[in-house]
Amino acid sequence: MSNPTQSAHYGFAERWLPRLVLAPSFLLTILFVYGFIAWNGYLSFTSSRLLPNFEWAGLVQYQALFESERWWVAVKNLFIFGGLFIGGAMAVGIFLAILLDQKIRGEGALRTIYLYPMALSFIVTGTAWKWMLNPGLGLEKLMHDWGFANFTFDWLVNPDTSIYTVVIAAMWQSSGFVMALFLAGLRGIDDSIIKAAQIDGASLPRIYWKIILPALRPVFFSTLMILCHIAIKSFDLVMALTGGGPGFASDVPATFMYAMAFTRGQTGLGAASATMMLMTVAAIVVPYLYSELRGNRNA
Amino acid sequence: MGALAIKNVTKSFGDTHILKGIDIEIESGQFLILVGPSGCGKSTLMNIIAGLESPTTGEVHIGGRVVNNVAPKDRDIAMVFQSYALYPTMNVRQNIAFGMETRGVPKKEQDEIIARVAKMLQMDHLLDRKPSQLSGGQRQRVAMGRALARDPILFLFDEPLSNLDAKLRVEMRTEIKQLHHRLKTTIVYVTHDQIEAMTLGDKIAVMKDGVIQQFGSPQEIYDQPANLFVASFIGSPSMNFIPCHLAEQDGQLGVSLQSEGEARFIALPQAAKLTGSVGKKVILGIRPEQFDVVGEQGLACKVHLTEPTGPDTMVLTQLNGIEVCARLHPREAKGPGDTVRLQPDVSKAVLFDAESEARLA
Repeated sequence: MSNPTQSAHYGFAERWLPRLVLAPSFLLTILFVYGFIAWNGYLSFTSSRLLPNFEWAGLVQYQALFESERWWVAVKNLFIFGGLFIGGAMAVGIFLAILLDQKIRGEGALRTIYLYPMALSFIVTGTAWKWMLNPGLGLEKLMHDWGFANFTFDWLVNPDTSIYTVVIAAMWQSSGFVMALFLAGLRGIDDSIIKAAQIDGASLPRIYWKIILPALRPVFFSTLMILCHIAIKSFDLVMALTGGGPGFASDVPATFMYAMAFTRGQTGLGAASATMMLMTVAAIVVPYLYSELRGNRNA
Repeated sequence: MGALAIKNVTKSFGDTHILKGIDIEIESGQFLILVGPSGCGKSTLMNIIAGLESPTTGEVHIGGRVVNNVAPKDRDIAMVFQSYALYPTMNVRQNIAFGMETRGVPKKEQDEIIARVAKMLQMDHLLDRKPSQLSGGQRQRVAMGRALARDPILFLFDEPLSNLDAKLRVEMRTEIKQLHHRLKTTIVYVTHDQIEAMTLGDKIAVMKDGVIQQFGSPQEIYDQPANLFVASFIGSPSMNFIPCHLAEQDGQLGVSLQSEGEARFIALPQAAKLTGSVGKKVILGIRPEQFDVVGEQGLACKVHLTEPTGPDTMVLTQLNGIEVCARLHPREAKGPGDTVRLQPDVSKAVLFDAESEARLA
């Protein structure tokens, strides 16, 4: 055995083996993620109905989309849902994290309990909350059975309020996750900073508000990113909880896209709405990635 | 009335007793050092003084009043932490102002105090920087500035120099001492570094296992250590402990030292009161600098190793089968394998009981 050949062998393997092993998943990702994004983008410029049709039709689908009342309801719902869900989950999660940070007994168990909803799929969450919020089945019926005959809680079946039930269920699911992220951040804060602030005479709320939460800015932004993308792509929860109804009162862009592309034979319109969603996500994620990557290079 | 009095303070968590009856009293303007190995309870005691933890039993008096039920902010104290504990999102000016804002000091007065403190610590140019833009020494300075801005009756320093590099530590040590001379404030200072304790303190409390082993001035503690632990903890290199038996010769009490098969009786005048315990096992404590190189009358000792430090050379040899370190002038120290004739200066030697480890003479 001669050493030079062996090391040449080794060099070849070292150079090519990783590429070889990564190639299948790389190709599959290129095809099924970026390929289909491109295909969808192209479809949105065609007049496809039930079946794809590849004749270039310009911006007709976008024109139809922006004239569709249902699309604007979906967009408005996305803003209501996104705003309330992100704000609510963040507030509840931070509040829980601060409470759990007070060195209480049984913290491990409580943390698991609050984090557990995250382990459920949105379908399960949606179905469970649908039963609970259903006036004939859940909370309202329970109160009636207990004798509160005038109690009404019909948000689920009321077109003006059904989107808020989605907010409630999504907050229930994600608050524990936000809590876990912030709790980890709080644990990273030097204990003596809190002691110093106590000696400086600051009350506990003031310590959190002026010193600790500002120091958690990075956690705040990561959480915001995660919640934003959950909000924009939310589909399964709405499908399971309200199905976009009553009517299309609780539609969000994702359910709109699904309805157009797969149940109403408006493939081109669905593709256009999907492209709009992609643009929205990109508008948020690209600047974030840019700043993150630039930050890493500086570090 | 003293600036700080700690009366029979204990602290227990269940069956774990962290502090077992601490009594300390210092006068206004004194610099008290709490020193001991890690886990001795010194930081817990500091937290109890600050009010961040409450004692299980006992009383803490600050400036003549019992403060057991007084919140930290109302105790009129300021504290400097080992990790500096600067507020990370605020700049230096805001860090110093935070406490004053909380106490409702008028804005104009705040600015005057900040200017005065910044001038005193020579950090005017740092006021608009964030803590992350400062070096360790600068952060330490800001932490001290924050404490000074309060002008309290009691300063607490919790291992403030431990995170600094060796050179900066010595500089800051001097600076803290100068500051104390200038301001004449009362300071309680926790450290595990015996050199810091010796150089800074007016009074030192040496702690171990939640008990104060000795409380006294640095020189007292150095010259008359209460027990074996204090003797070994204070002083570097550490005191030599030579096991021997108390003997009597020509009507004088003393001990016998052996080296290279040669035995020599060393009379100890300070042991005169121990007449009743002749034959008892004792430990002779001699500091490295108490050895002198003499002529023929000295005890012949074989040098095992030398450690030159510049001004002195540490010579390692054996007495009574125990490794002994002698601090000699470089001119008198010989090389490994050579023989030096050593004479211990017994006037400053101490004797410990081999069983109880308490000092006998």
